[in-house]
Amino acid sequence: MSACREGELDALLAGELSPEDAARVDAHVDTCPACRHALTWLRLERGWMAQRARRTPARPALSFSALEARLARPAIPPWVPLPGSWANWGKMMMAAAATVAFVGLSLMQGGPVPLGDEPRGRDVRMLGEACEDPSGEAVAALEAALGACLVASPVISSR
Amino acid sequence: MALLSAVKMVLAGAPPSDMDRERALLRRARAGDPAAFRTLFERHSPGVWRFLRDLLRDEAAADEATQETFVRAHGRLGALRDQDRLGAWLLGIARHVYLESRRSRGVHVDVDDEEHASRVEAVLPTPTPEDLLLDRELEGLLADALGMLREERRAALLLRIDHGLPYEEISSVMGWSLQKVKNEIHRARLQLREQLAAHVGGRP
Repeated sequence: MSACREGELDALLAGELSPEDAARVDAHVDTCPACRHALTWLRLERGWMAQRARRTPARPALSFSALEARLARPAIPPWVPLPGSWANWGKMMMAAAATVAFVGLSLMQGGPVPLGDEPRGRDVRMLGEACEDPSGEAVAALEAALGACLVASPVISSR
Repeated sequence: MALLSAVKMVLAGAPPSDMDRERALLRRARAGDPAAFRTLFERHSPGVWRFLRDLLRDEAAADEATQETFVRAHGRLGALRDQDRLGAWLLGIARHVYLESRRSRGVHVDVDDEEHASRVEAVLPTPTPEDLLLDRELEGLLADALGMLREERRAALLLRIDHGLPYEEISSVMGWSLQKVKNEIHRARLQLREQLAAHVGGRP
């Protein structure tokens, strides 16, 4: 029978039907054993769930002070490059370290520090390539994405 | 502003409804009032915890996921468009937290029996008034029966029968069409009843 729709019985119990629809469904239930049966089950489920909800145990997670403590934890800010001349400070530090290492190695080998245009040009070009390493930007992008996703909150531990 | 609306309602002779109070609390919480956020937390956290416990089937994991849900909610209160749907919004965040937790734990256990579920309706017994009492044994059986449902289907059923969300809000939380929500909840109910039929009186 097309009038037998459990969704409507459910909506009737939830008080979601208009008065007209509620009267129509009520009238149908009076004459339909299958719907009376279904309605009994729906009432049973609602009753069980209500009892179960009343028994929700007191848990540490339901204490607001625990949440406050968590909210008060310093957030780990996503890595954001600084604007202006400080934007490339990381790259500058890497270049400086590489220069020091290069000069140090040259001195240890006992050879003269190249002064001519050609070799120095080649070395500078090599250092320049090291400075263009894209991994720093990729890491920054990943950190920014994770920060946005997690809202400065630690990932749920995997248990 | 909240005081003004309360005064207006008193003057109009109508006491503020629960929904009016919740809207007022939400406005205050969005404005940074910690006491208002605390009241909202105390109202909604038991339901959120229960939803997560039923999905995760692990009380300690539900504790952590509940906290995570409210940390996220605290940071995004301004993003809630419909103030009347705070409960559904929180349960939607909880579901996302659950999905992330499940992925991080590498857990995916779906126990389902579509074919069997489609042919059980005719043999269900009719419950008696005595069956309404949910004793501890039956509560355990109910939890087990819920656990037998496929995770997404279980979530949809719980949003309806435990948290009282309208089908339209379940559709929004689950990201499903309205028809799919109705179908999934109907199937979940049949499976749940089948699991519990042996413990319900009346005709076999």
